[in-house]
Amino acid sequence: MGYAQLVIGPAGSGKSTYCSKLHEHCTTVGRNIHIINLDPAAENFDYPVAMDIRELVSLDDVMEELGLGPNGGLLYCMEHLEDNLDDWLTEELDNYLDDDYLVFDCPGQIELFSHVPVLKNFVDHLKRKNFSICAVYLLDSQFMTDVTKFISGCMSSLSAMVQLEVPHVNILSKMDLVAKKKDLEDFLNPEPQVLLSELNQRMAPQFAKLNKSLVELVDNYGMVSFVPLNLRKATSISYVLAQIDTCIQYGEDADVKIKDFDPEDED
Amino acid sequence: MEIDSDFHKMNIKPQEEGDTTIPMDSEGSSTVQNDKGKENEELTNSMKKLQVEESSSGQAGSSFKKKPVIIIVVGMAGSGKTTFLHRLVSHTRESNIRGYVMNLDPAVMTLPFGANIDIRDTVRYKEVMKQFNLGPNGGILTSLNLFATKFDEVVSVIEKRADQLDYVLVDTPGQIEIFTWSASGAIITEAFASTFPTVIAYVVDTPRSASPVTFMSNMLYACSILYKTRLPLVLAFNKIDVAQHQFALEWMEDFEAFQAAVSTDSSYSSTLAQSLSLVLDEFYKNLRSVGVSAVSGAGMKDFFKAIEASVEEYMGNYKADLEKRRAEKERLEEEHRKENMEKLRKDMEKSGGETVILSTGLKDKDERGKAMMDEDEEEVEEEEEDEMFAEDEDAIDEDEDEEVGRFTF
Repeated sequence: MGYAQLVIGPAGSGKSTYCSKLHEHCTTVGRNIHIINLDPAAENFDYPVAMDIRELVSLDDVMEELGLGPNGGLLYCMEHLEDNLDDWLTEELDNYLDDDYLVFDCPGQIELFSHVPVLKNFVDHLKRKNFSICAVYLLDSQFMTDVTKFISGCMSSLSAMVQLEVPHVNILSKMDLVAKKKDLEDFLNPEPQVLLSELNQRMAPQFAKLNKSLVELVDNYGMVSFVPLNLRKATSISYVLAQIDTCIQYGEDADVKIKDFDPEDED
Repeated sequence: MEIDSDFHKMNIKPQEEGDTTIPMDSEGSSTVQNDKGKENEELTNSMKKLQVEESSSGQAGSSFKKKPVIIIVVGMAGSGKTTFLHRLVSHTRESNIRGYVMNLDPAVMTLPFGANIDIRDTVRYKEVMKQFNLGPNGGILTSLNLFATKFDEVVSVIEKRADQLDYVLVDTPGQIEIFTWSASGAIITEAFASTFPTVIAYVVDTPRSASPVTFMSNMLYACSILYKTRLPLVLAFNKIDVAQHQFALEWMEDFEAFQAAVSTDSSYSSTLAQSLSLVLDEFYKNLRSVGVSAVSGAGMKDFFKAIEASVEEYMGNYKADLEKRRAEKERLEEEHRKENMEKLRKDMEKSGGETVILSTGLKDKDERGKAMMDEDEEEVEEEEEDEMFAEDEDAIDEDEDEEVGRFTF
């Protein structure tokens, strides 16, 4: 039984920064965590990369040899990963112990989880390997300026959620840059009536019904709720981490193991 | 790094320029130094003048043109945006519709059509990647950000030709989230929407959407775009030469059919699918969808019909809302302006002579300074262009050479 986080979100939402801060935090509190890079286009890392998709395939080579653009190249790389799930990934995963905690830093292209079943198959593969997985969807809090953008964010995270079919934690990143925290608080604990009236104000009248059903969806199911994340605060990071841990039931069946205390047995 | 230093220059320059241009604009200032008695009167005069100019420019900004219609084509990578656009271009040529084409994708290698305005003439994305040490995604995003800073000029170019155009077709970067979830994307859409009727065409890859779950996430994303941009949305089911889009239409019309399809697909908890399809059912009602084929050219007429209908809707609903938003913004600006004016008056009363020029310069930073900054930017960027963007000249479509030539970035 292993644990995994799949860090997804639009480009520039702060996925890699989140990974590096998470690693820093976990090192400080003495937790073992491995960050894995799944973005073939990434170049610089602030964190030690445990596993790297670029060992399998390099975007530059693909773009050069197959004459593809950055997008097509990326898709090709990810499909190549899909083909090698059983070989490369399994081999690499064998290096990790049963209850290791892995964090996958994914590329930002939204197509990967909406159009192409790559990430879905990837997740299924991990599930077969007995991993407990949680998708971490990052969204830039800078864009949550009004209620329509909030709904827009909910929808985009929902569209990823529907595809991946794993527990989902939505995170509002870059909270340290938000000047008016008060405005955002309304969205963190949305009050359906307030949301609805604001939506009706902002959208054209023919959308009234759609607004209503959207707000009901957000309200009834509590499907989409956002956790604020301020990477400058350790408390904020540990809060987010605790949320994710609850989702994947991390440590719930943990037993005291002798080898946990054995310094030689590090891996 | 080069661009960084440019920004510094930009920040400093307006003030220097402010000194030199003030005497031209407000004749008063030259006499001020000589004749202290008249000083105050003259100043209030010149200030009034400034105000008059401002208000007139404000009016000019609010004139909303019915034509041309801006069609922003968005879609996931590989949904066939560029091919679809190519088809649109040839359709407009055939049926004598006067269209303008704009490419916003800095990473595209070759375009099958001639773009009248091309982001690649302004920003070279490989160069941006190298200079700022970015990956492909960051490079595209930064290029778009750089372009967005000059977007008012793009709009004014289109405004100049507004009478001769029916449509402006805009191609966007393949990474959809770069356009929908970025500041520059918002700037660009809003700049368009505040001057011309604007419609978003969301291109859907029909064969890939045959799975109900993919279809649903696609629709959710379209819904997300609708709420983000608050503009009329037209769904274009592309590639109907490969797979017919009837299934999609059926799902959109009859949500029970869709639910049946969802339940066959071993999937998420049925309650979620159910409630989602109920939501989406409402979504479809406000939506125009057409099946098109970029390859065979089918469905083009329907597409333009849908666009026309969306424009009607835009004029009916969105414009009023937009004007409300703009009025609010103007009110805020006005307040700000008044505050500045008050400050300026106090400064003037307190001191005479040369400081007056300085404080006018300060004021200018706000309004006219913008225009100057643009000029400076141009100068600076022209130098830069020599190194960075030199070889691009031949990439420009021949007919439009002069058009783009005037368009100095």
